[in-house]
Amino acid sequence: MTTRFDRRSVLKLGGGLLAASALTPITGAFAQSKSINYWHTFTSQSEAAGLESVMALFKAAHPDIAVTPENIPNPEFMAKITAAVVANTRPSVTMVSSERFQDLLAMGALTDITDRVANWERRSDFSDQRFDSITADGKVYGVPGFAFVDWIYYRKDWFEEAGIAVPTTLAELYDAAVKLTDPSANRYGFALRGGPGGQNFIINMMEAFGAKLIQADGSISLDREKAIAGLTFYSDLAKNAAPSSAPNDGFRQIIEGFQTGQTAMVYHHTGSYQDIASKLEPGVQFGTMAVPTGPVNRVARLAYAYNTITKAEDADAAWEWIKFWGEPDAAVAFLEKTGYFPASTTAAADQRIAGNPMYAAASETLGFGIPQPSFPGAAGWAEGTVLPAFQRILIGQATPEQAADEIIAGLAEATQ
Amino acid sequence: MSRVAAASPPPRSVWDSLNPVRLLGELSETRYWMYLLLLPSALLITAVVLYPTVYGFQMSFHEMRLNRPALGTGFVGLKHYARMVSDPIFWTSLVNTAAWVTSSIILEFLVGLIAALALNRNLPGTKVLAVLILIPYFLPNVVAGHMWALMLDPRLGVINDVLVRIGWLESYKAWFADPTTAMGAAIVVEVWHSFPFFTLLIMAGLKGIPADLYKAADIDGAGAFSQLRLITLPMLKTIIAAAVILRVIGLVNSPDLLLILTSGGPGRSTQVLSLYAFQTAYKDFNFGYAGALSVVMFVLLMGFAYIYIRLSKVNQD
Amino acid sequence: MATLSIKGVRKSFGALEVLKNIDLELEDGGFLVLLGPSGCGKSTLLSIIAGLEPSSGGDVVIGERNVNDVHPKDRNIAMVFQSYALYPTMAVRRNIGFGLEMRKVPQAEREAAVQRAANLLQIEHLLDRKPAQLSGGQRQRVAMGRAIVRDPDLFLFDEPLSNLDAKLRVEMRTEIKRLHDRLGTSVVYVTHDQVEAMTLGTKVAVMREGLIQQIADPQTIYERPANMFVAGFIGSPTMNFLTGTLELAEGGLLLRHGDGALPLVGLEQDVAGFVGKTVVAGIRPESLSAGTGAAMLSGTVDVVEPTGPDTMVLINVGGQVISARLGSRDRPKLGAPLSVVVDTTAVNLFDPETGVRI
Repeated sequence: MTTRFDRRSVLKLGGGLLAASALTPITGAFAQSKSINYWHTFTSQSEAAGLESVMALFKAAHPDIAVTPENIPNPEFMAKITAAVVANTRPSVTMVSSERFQDLLAMGALTDITDRVANWERRSDFSDQRFDSITADGKVYGVPGFAFVDWIYYRKDWFEEAGIAVPTTLAELYDAAVKLTDPSANRYGFALRGGPGGQNFIINMMEAFGAKLIQADGSISLDREKAIAGLTFYSDLAKNAAPSSAPNDGFRQIIEGFQTGQTAMVYHHTGSYQDIASKLEPGVQFGTMAVPTGPVNRVARLAYAYNTITKAEDADAAWEWIKFWGEPDAAVAFLEKTGYFPASTTAAADQRIAGNPMYAAASETLGFGIPQPSFPGAAGWAEGTVLPAFQRILIGQATPEQAADEIIAGLAEATQ
Repeated sequence: MSRVAAASPPPRSVWDSLNPVRLLGELSETRYWMYLLLLPSALLITAVVLYPTVYGFQMSFHEMRLNRPALGTGFVGLKHYARMVSDPIFWTSLVNTAAWVTSSIILEFLVGLIAALALNRNLPGTKVLAVLILIPYFLPNVVAGHMWALMLDPRLGVINDVLVRIGWLESYKAWFADPTTAMGAAIVVEVWHSFPFFTLLIMAGLKGIPADLYKAADIDGAGAFSQLRLITLPMLKTIIAAAVILRVIGLVNSPDLLLILTSGGPGRSTQVLSLYAFQTAYKDFNFGYAGALSVVMFVLLMGFAYIYIRLSKVNQD
Repeated sequence: MATLSIKGVRKSFGALEVLKNIDLELEDGGFLVLLGPSGCGKSTLLSIIAGLEPSSGGDVVIGERNVNDVHPKDRNIAMVFQSYALYPTMAVRRNIGFGLEMRKVPQAEREAAVQRAANLLQIEHLLDRKPAQLSGGQRQRVAMGRAIVRDPDLFLFDEPLSNLDAKLRVEMRTEIKRLHDRLGTSVVYVTHDQVEAMTLGTKVAVMREGLIQQIADPQTIYERPANMFVAGFIGSPTMNFLTGTLELAEGGLLLRHGDGALPLVGLEQDVAGFVGKTVVAGIRPESLSAGTGAAMLSGTVDVVEPTGPDTMVLINVGGQVISARLGSRDRPKLGAPLSVVVDTTAVNLFDPETGVRI
């Protein structure tokens, strides 16, 4: 139980000395109502629907707290939040993806909530590792709202028709993709995201071929030869099995390509499940598979969207909102609208998830998935260097070797 | 005005030398008065214009990386400028900026001029058309960008569909994925979006040209093209110069359309300075280097405006 | 040089008819003034002659050529605009020579022609200036230079003097008359200024509401106006209109007005049909003079306005106010009775029903 001494309750106390007790219920009800705003980067209709259902549940549980969601387009997110922090017009709560954590922490946007998390009644629903990507120097700055579990959607009907087994290695994936490619029929094996947001998949491929970013001693570097191998594999996949639009394809394009029957596989996370299921029949037209293993590593990201408190004044109400995402009902409701997996282990064990075979690949990935490497400057390097360098391979302006050199030089620049 | 009174003022009493109204009155007779009157606007200009500009300049001489607070914000001299010289992305961006701005401006001007001349004929329906034609300009860049990204989409784009149907294309083309067409396609979008700016200003200018001039030219035997070249364009010179400068500043400074359409890709084939500065600031959080890039853009724009005004001789006559 | 004839020209803008069946003829070397209040259609008619405005019907013939479908540049006309319409970005030299330049006249020939025109108008020293550096009178000369340089068949002037101040206007008016006398080119000249019309025109067409009210030489227009509109429009101060009944008395015709009666001696009109009816007598103020005679008007002095050479006196004649132009030394007292002599040979009688001269 918390007692708040905000301006209104102080006024109430002062007024109470003079005024009749009849006034108290009115001002009292007033004092407890609190409004907070929530910055998020949800874009698709299913994500919007998911947010709405969580808000409806929250409103029923906490009628005294009004949440105003504010959509910040993903490409503008960092600019907006930077401006808000600098100008001190911060939102109460901000959704933070793990790769942005270090940058936001460094600019002082986040509030330390270690104690609140430690005393949270649902803390035990989450394994410790869930908080890794939002913890720095032993301090916790957010609560995982939902999980991004990487997996691959594939056209089950096409695979069966061609007699191709579901790939378990990247080499098999490559072969399957090439086999299913028939440009004359405008059909391609793989929806490759070479445009905005494609950078992380490139990093994944380099890591699958052994080029890990963060070394055992915590230093940051890339093995040139292994990076070249990853880039070569991925750019060959693009050239031989992806539509020619790949260098400009972002989220919308790869999902539409799959939805419209242009591509046979699309590498994304569970969050696009409902969007795809709205166009293709689950279990019949499309299936889901865990990300196949690479020659060195099996890289499927397990990332979390964290909700963080970005305005200390609103911390109490904000805390109620961000921890609410850990309630199994809220998590399952969100999953049912979107496909995003719950971050809570308890919620993930819910029969509505565990009993659905389409989610098996995601449940499997929870076992071996690893977080996105994160360090200050990572996001800028990935978007500003890795992606253009890879695009240059795709459009024939660079070899994988040149691209690798560019990527490594950029990494040095970003971390110096 | 009484010179006699000024020459022999009435004797000052003690009260007079203390009376603030009188002192103010005496001050208003001195030459300092005008500086006092200028003071409020000078302060305002300093606060609104000068301070941010100077701040941007001084940022470019400092280390300022928001996500690396350990580096501090010390003075680094010309470090950022030195880096720029050897930064291939900067030079690529510079060349792309020149191409992007020059082509867009020329096309926007031509399309805008043709539209303005057509709308200026006062035929039935031109009033409605004049409003309709301005619609693209009212759309925010973000909306226009997403709309065109969809229309040019390699899977669903209506423009691809039309081009295939009329036989100009074999199959749908990914305009923004091919470095040879990405810039061109982006320029088409930009021209579509901003030509009404020229139309609007040129139409306003056309209204100011006396109809008698065209009548005189008709009688003198000048054809439509001669009238355009010898009357319309010279009469619009000032307006065109203003429009070009405003549009160049807008184009050089705003990254949003390219950010949405290509994010500078593929490769760096549509990377321009504004986008690079934006990404350096908000993706890399390197405000020092971003500041230096902005200063270079500022200097280039000033240089452009100066040379352009000299060449177009707007200040003459 | 050429004649001009206009046959049945009409013009309407939508439902608005601004010219209704205009007919007129101008002899070779003549100077036609289109005179009328604003909105009478005179400028529209000029535009139609120039070809800048299509007519809704009728023919324009310059010389022997029907020019209905001929482009303005091929009509061999030159026009001077009220706004002068000098090309602001060109120096005077190029402004004057522009028509020749467009007609691909060789440079040397063009230069000579410009020089001649400039000479004639005394603007040689202005040739290298831009229009913005010229005064109103200088611009007017340049505009005329541009017109005469091509030696056209027909000059068209659209209120060329109305942007000038009074003194310059008189000066330029003289200049135009001199130029016309010297060049002998036919001119159509639009103005609302009756003095310009009277001084310049060999022929004046008075227009109102799209119709020509009267077309004649200035003298006729002045002395024998075709109707009350023309009578009232020409002359300053305007003609007096005295309403009365026409009677045939023993001495001849008599205009009975209120208590008075004005014998009409030497009337040029055939008014037999109007005896016993109400008519309006148009009497110019200058037809009245101090003194005594057979035909007199008597009343009381209302207003006295000395103007220098004359004294204008308003006399109340039985409720109708009549203005008289008297000698500068005639200074009747206000309210005093006054009788003036009428030169009845200059009187015009109008039908009050139609306004038309009987």
